[in-house]
Amino acid sequence: MTIPFFGKSIFVPSDIIAAWILSIVLGAILFIYVMNKRKWPLIWEYMRTTNHRKIGTMYILFGVIFFLRAGTDALLIRLQLAQPHAAFWVFQQEKYNELFTTHGTMMIFFVAMPLLIGLMNVAVPLQIGARDLAFPFLNAVSFWLFLAGAILFNMSFFFNSAPNAGWTGYAPLSTDTFTPSVGNDYFVFSLQVSGLGTIFTAINMIVTIVRHRAPGMRLTRMPLFSWATLITSFLILIAFSVLSMGLYLLMFDRMFGTGFFSGDTGNPVYWQHLFWIFGHPEVYILALPAFGIFSDIISTFSKKRIFGYPAMVLSIILIGFLGFMVWAHHMFTVGLGPMANTFFAITTMLIAVPTGIKVFNWLFTMRGGVVKITTPMLFALGFIPTFVMGGVTGVMLSVAAANFQYHDTHFVVAHFHYTIIGSTILGIFAGIYFWYPKVTGKVLDEKLGKWHFWLFIIGFHLTFLPMHVTGLQGMPRRVYTYQWGDDLFALNLTSTIGAFLMGSSMLFVGWNLYKTHKHGKKVGNDPWDGRTLEWTVQSPSQENTFEPMPIVKEMDPFWYAKVSGEKLRTTNNTRPAPISVNTILPFCIAFSLSIMSLGMIYTWYLLAVLGGASAFLLFIVRSLTDERKAYDLKEGHSNE
Amino acid sequence: MKNILIRIRLLVFACLLTGCDISVLDPQSKTADNQAFLISFSFALMMIVLIIVFLLMTRFVWKYRETEHNKNTIPKDIKGNKKLELTWTILPILLLTVLAVPTIAVTYNQSATTPKATTQDDAIHIDVTAQQFFWTFTYGNGKESTNELVIPENKSIVFHLKSTDVIHSFWIPSLGGKTDVLPEKELVYKIDNPKKGTYDGKCAEFCGVNHTKMRFTARVVSEETYQKWLTK
Repeated sequence: MTIPFFGKSIFVPSDIIAAWILSIVLGAILFIYVMNKRKWPLIWEYMRTTNHRKIGTMYILFGVIFFLRAGTDALLIRLQLAQPHAAFWVFQQEKYNELFTTHGTMMIFFVAMPLLIGLMNVAVPLQIGARDLAFPFLNAVSFWLFLAGAILFNMSFFFNSAPNAGWTGYAPLSTDTFTPSVGNDYFVFSLQVSGLGTIFTAINMIVTIVRHRAPGMRLTRMPLFSWATLITSFLILIAFSVLSMGLYLLMFDRMFGTGFFSGDTGNPVYWQHLFWIFGHPEVYILALPAFGIFSDIISTFSKKRIFGYPAMVLSIILIGFLGFMVWAHHMFTVGLGPMANTFFAITTMLIAVPTGIKVFNWLFTMRGGVVKITTPMLFALGFIPTFVMGGVTGVMLSVAAANFQYHDTHFVVAHFHYTIIGSTILGIFAGIYFWYPKVTGKVLDEKLGKWHFWLFIIGFHLTFLPMHVTGLQGMPRRVYTYQWGDDLFALNLTSTIGAFLMGSSMLFVGWNLYKTHKHGKKVGNDPWDGRTLEWTVQSPSQENTFEPMPIVKEMDPFWYAKVSGEKLRTTNNTRPAPISVNTILPFCIAFSLSIMSLGMIYTWYLLAVLGGASAFLLFIVRSLTDERKAYDLKEGHSNE
Repeated sequence: MKNILIRIRLLVFACLLTGCDISVLDPQSKTADNQAFLISFSFALMMIVLIIVFLLMTRFVWKYRETEHNKNTIPKDIKGNKKLELTWTILPILLLTVLAVPTIAVTYNQSATTPKATTQDDAIHIDVTAQQFFWTFTYGNGKESTNELVIPENKSIVFHLKSTDVIHSFWIPSLGGKTDVLPEKELVYKIDNPKKGTYDGKCAEFCGVNHTKMRFTARVVSEETYQKWLTK
């Protein structure tokens, strides 16, 4: 569609116009709602909060919103692939390339990551008996950086310049020679900004878990979700730093004429190494927290402690460690030679061993227990077979010579959706159903939750199981159509139908939220008959948790206290808690950095300097603020 | 052994979708045949794992589900079981060792290499140039063809792959796996003993706007026809 713009006429694709209209309408409705219900003070409160539960809630809220957007991308992809030679709306060629790029990037960085980090924020401090994260201010900075990055990334689409080099951004396609538009600059800067936030979160989680556990909560008694968070945080620290470096070099290639990833001196394969040294641990960054969530859920709803706890912890560590030694299995076809191919094939196979240990330990946790099939447990039970199917295709993919056939086909697409949706997304759903009372004080409706599960899981297998076959039939990934002669029609149509089933399951989530909040009753501290410390605090968790502080004598302390009919012993003699404050600074820092990024993306350097200077100024202001002073004064005052 | 594998392959995939032909599992060259063997072999091994997990899970969930009867019992605590845990550590390692042996053998044989490493004299050498969004094939006598590859049957064909712009990937599913086509660096990939026929070839690495359309046809013909075609 061509529209006049300041005397010039510019071409704007109709999907973007539709998106503008939809956003404006939804924005207006939201505005009216907020006005009518007088929610401004609430929004202002959340914008300045540093409380872990509130920040976690915001992470989850925005993660779900971006999930809907990236999910819509997926449905559009499936509509375009529903039949041979399809020409659905505008989604062919460049538009299709943008579609799968945004789908992948958003799902990984702005859906899976924030949802997991949101659950960590909500649950980890409560599980280990911490009153907040170690650095509440930094936590708020992390969140706003994530949101700034995500909004930046979404803006590109509204200005008709979405990134288009795939979520992997392979050079030299992603350099300015081949994709000169600003789309991939948006990619670089939005990931850079949100990645910074993720690194801060990792530091925060590590310090929290190391320093702020309740008395007696030794590492050997820590719930497995907290363990997974600890290991994941170390992975993030290393992997996201590598991504950051890679993006930094790509920025120089795109904007300042260097040639790290192309030309005589550079090499496009360097980008692949950097990207996958980040990218493979990233897979485990997504999977390990989900493993942790499932461990806690399976143990809770089998009324048994986790089977083989030491092995469970050890295998998390081992998976994390091996995760850094397998990156080149994404690169079997780039000619690294037989030696490298063999090495990475073997290390990849090895990962199956600790993963297998975990699967059997989960199964044997249920053995001899009393298995109560609630919605979170149902997601856990759906996870085991689904994830194992993704795992076995993972082993098949590790066979390097066979991988020459699988590589870059829909077989691989099937594999990583089985692993990532199978573990991460099912884990996130399970976690949300499980800890929802700790966030809102209400339990989500069980019946609608089960509808959600069954539609989602059936739709999921219908979508991705056929892709194993289409891949082996020769369908490469990232193609926007195929021919009648390729014999791919029936299976692709099945996938499309499955995708819409998955999509429709989200309607039940919406209905469930509405129903729960309209008619749901407040529940007590412990709606699930839980085992760990988070079920000892109020639902929703208050701002000053653990006063007095429980003393932990064993694993699953709350459960064993309930079994023996005693109360947990408590103490008032604890380590000083992190101090919560209300401050708008984190929001301002993130805002300044996104202004700087916009300046860089459009090479309006004055704006970039302004944004950068403002961020720097805010750093100085922050460095000179010490909230402990005010707190000490207040304490002193009250002691008089 | 091989027959059993082929039977498994047929059974599982054929009953899954009668009528579709799965090109990767219907190999038309020695190279692709070895790869199809690895695919079926690893698939069979992994099915064992899958079935065990499915059976255990169904059994445990069914047997230990919550009923009116056991609703209020508190199950006995079990911390772990050394023997069981050792079993599911060692057995997978053995299983993977079994898989690793053919993997290493075929991978060593088939991995793409740099030009120096290949010195097979009776092989046919063809230069493949990938460019957004078409393929150019250059034969020994200087003949060029675009988007149509012609090779003789039952020979070793050595492809010298080079790109003039971004990364592409050279793939003929029926004849063998893919090899990336890089700018500034030549890779060499060999396909052994192709059978007569016409096969689809495609670019498998996302390379830009018309990546989808970057396809070509591979015709495997008799030696005679090949020679005739070369001089035409």
